[in-house]
Amino acid sequence: MDKQSSRPKVFSLEWLKSQVATRQQRARLLIKTIIVAMGGVFCYAVLIAPGFLTIGNGINMAQRMPSIIIVAVAQTLVIIGAGIDLSVGAVMAFCGSLTAVAFCYWGIPVWVAILLGLLSGVTIGSITGLIITKGRIPDFIATLGMMVTVRGIALILTKGLPVPSHFTVVRLRAYLPPQVIWLGSGRILGIPASLIIAIAIVVVGWLVLNHTALGRSIFAIGGNKPAAILSGINFDFTKIKIYAISGLLCALAGIILIGRMNSANALMAGEINLQSIAAVIIGGTNLFGGQGGVIGSLFGAGVLSVLSNILNLHNVQDFAQDVFQGVVIIGVVIIDQLRRRYGR
Amino acid sequence: MSLPVLKVEGLDKSYPGVHALDHVDLDLYEMEVHGLLGENGAGKSTFMKILSGSVLKDGGRIFIHGQEVNIANPQHARQLGIGMVYQELSLIPELTVAENIFLGRWPRRKIFGGIDWPQLVARAKDALDKLGVSINVKERVSNLGIGERQLTEIARAISMNVKIILFDEPSSALSDEERERFFYMIHALKETGVSIIYVSHRLSEAPRVCDRVTVLRDGKKIDTLPMDRADEETLIRMMVGRDVGEKFPKDETKEGKEVLRVKDLTIYGRLHHLELTLHQGEILGIFGLMGAGRTEFARALFGIDRIDEGKIFIEGRRVGISSPKDAIEAGLGYLTEDKLDGLLMQMTIPPNITLPSLRRFCKFGFIKHNDEKETAKGYIEDLGIHTPRVAQKIEFLSGGNQQKVALAKWLCSQSKILILDEPTRGIDVGSKIEVYRLINELSKGGAGIILISSELPEVLNMADRILVMSDGSFVAAYNRGEASQEDLLRSVVAKK
Repeated sequence: MDKQSSRPKVFSLEWLKSQVATRQQRARLLIKTIIVAMGGVFCYAVLIAPGFLTIGNGINMAQRMPSIIIVAVAQTLVIIGAGIDLSVGAVMAFCGSLTAVAFCYWGIPVWVAILLGLLSGVTIGSITGLIITKGRIPDFIATLGMMVTVRGIALILTKGLPVPSHFTVVRLRAYLPPQVIWLGSGRILGIPASLIIAIAIVVVGWLVLNHTALGRSIFAIGGNKPAAILSGINFDFTKIKIYAISGLLCALAGIILIGRMNSANALMAGEINLQSIAAVIIGGTNLFGGQGGVIGSLFGAGVLSVLSNILNLHNVQDFAQDVFQGVVIIGVVIIDQLRRRYGR
Repeated sequence: MSLPVLKVEGLDKSYPGVHALDHVDLDLYEMEVHGLLGENGAGKSTFMKILSGSVLKDGGRIFIHGQEVNIANPQHARQLGIGMVYQELSLIPELTVAENIFLGRWPRRKIFGGIDWPQLVARAKDALDKLGVSINVKERVSNLGIGERQLTEIARAISMNVKIILFDEPSSALSDEERERFFYMIHALKETGVSIIYVSHRLSEAPRVCDRVTVLRDGKKIDTLPMDRADEETLIRMMVGRDVGEKFPKDETKEGKEVLRVKDLTIYGRLHHLELTLHQGEILGIFGLMGAGRTEFARALFGIDRIDEGKIFIEGRRVGISSPKDAIEAGLGYLTEDKLDGLLMQMTIPPNITLPSLRRFCKFGFIKHNDEKETAKGYIEDLGIHTPRVAQKIEFLSGGNQQKVALAKWLCSQSKILILDEPTRGIDVGSKIEVYRLINELSKGGAGIILISSELPEVLNMADRILVMSDGSFVAAYNRGEASQEDLLRSVVAKK
């Protein structure tokens, strides 16, 4: 193509035309417009939401957010390593249920029960990692299988009933231990303890990703697997570590969740798979690995929580909320892909 | 002579840093097989890509039957009657031969639009008959040999009623017997009135199939000759005859003690009893054509592929290398043929440089970012990496600079033995010279270097010793200055 030598005056009609001359420029303009429009609608909805800016609503949101933040951190590590973990919700439910069952029915001391829950998370994560690396199965399939399996074991463990069950509460006076309940709904200086834990996890996650050899290895295997292996990085071991950490964080999120609900059951945390992945992607992490960070995921988790909160405040029914969330997730991914293709 | 079927005038194409095609002319007549010869990087592939519509030309004119055309995309090329048979086969293995031949153009039934199977089979048979070959059209492609797949691919091109067929290294994957059948098929194809452009780097093939040959070198057309005037000697001279003296700044180096000895390295069916020794400060060239087993050897040495037999000694001590990690610890570094396999494109320069030696930059598991950055700065200066800042993402660097970062990686890991696989492929001449200088510096610093290359001048001018590789074996060895370009090519050809 011939290069044009004369440059039109800024803000003239010719200039405007030259700004939308190529497909790339038009695409960029469209992307920017969509982002601004989405942001505008979001802010407007927040501002007109009845009772959004009240302390009660703030505390309510702050107590719901920690689980998703912690799981989003786990999911971030997994996705940067070019994987995906569909078993996060199931692991949360299982580890939460195990802790509850261990305390309420097996009479195990509370701290041991919590430790047991966390350890089971690490174990499940390590098994997932082993299946992926030694069995040479795609992450997606392996975690999908684990999702169903672990959920099933949780159902066997709890016999499909809430823990502690109604019967136990009434007859044996067995409740969840106060320490667990404090984890879920206690406060420190008015701030929910679970939120403080979640923020601490984000900080640790950031440190690990950006300042340790493990973090560097995660970026490397996610960004370019052959290059990582050629540089002497142990791919299998790194992958297993990622899933073990993911398991641990999911277990923690599960225990916090049972503390908040004051009850455990094998079917809880059903939506967290999708939500955690959505939070990570909204936060700008590349779905195909090698790029991203936990701070973005924290932001993504925040956006999703606020979204669900304002939909509640606007009295949008639950089913319609699902539609909203789905549309937002797909929209964000499309915009992300367009930005990668056409530049910022 | 009659009007040429295809006429190309002053075809021009540049990529960042490379003038891939520099005003190339070519004409092709009806029922002609026109050979296109040249070294790697001479511009053959770019030429074919422009004609087949997958790359747009920068300048020049293309005429088909005397009419000027602007080839916009592969579909357009096909409508103009140009078909391309690719080097990498583009068949779908799980479909049958017939389905593949008419991929996406299956004949439809009138009612419901289903596929008209009897007609599909009949027409596929017809296309293969034209080639004078018999393949069961109902066979799945995955059950076919490589030669039959190639024929299927050609049948596909013919079935599109193309008048011009472009072949890109069509015979490189074929066995000797298959190649004979293939040549026969080319003649049959010609008889049906089709014109052919045939790209190859096998000189011995040209007289078998071509009527005329055009030689490209560094993106320029050297000459077009009728086949009877183009003997092998002439062609070799045309392909490589350039002024290369000062392009290769090679200094005399003192040979130190032995750093690497490979004994009897074998991977069944691929590498056969490879033996070599490498000394400190020595550059050992390994020359061979594509598919000779050069990269397989590098991969085996670096612990990526498992070796079946053989021993590796480093500085006299036997080492077991079963993973790249072992290799790095033993003091090896491996610059891959494909740059994409060596770098993390989305990350910045420092993490890329320190990746193999990250442990050195860690304290209690935490990376010392300042040390890392200072080290990277040092290499950016030493190697002359052109970058606006230290924390620049690799994807925004030029090919030559990316290659230097990849090299810095292995310098940083203090490799004593460097395997460089085609270190200058795809980078422009200026950067090439810089890379050669670096290789010199490294060897003077006491590293042993294995330089794998298919570029003759590179091997001849840079290496202290040259091993010629063919079909997974070392077939000849020369000391520096002993061999000419012709000698090397002959040792490769002789074994074929």
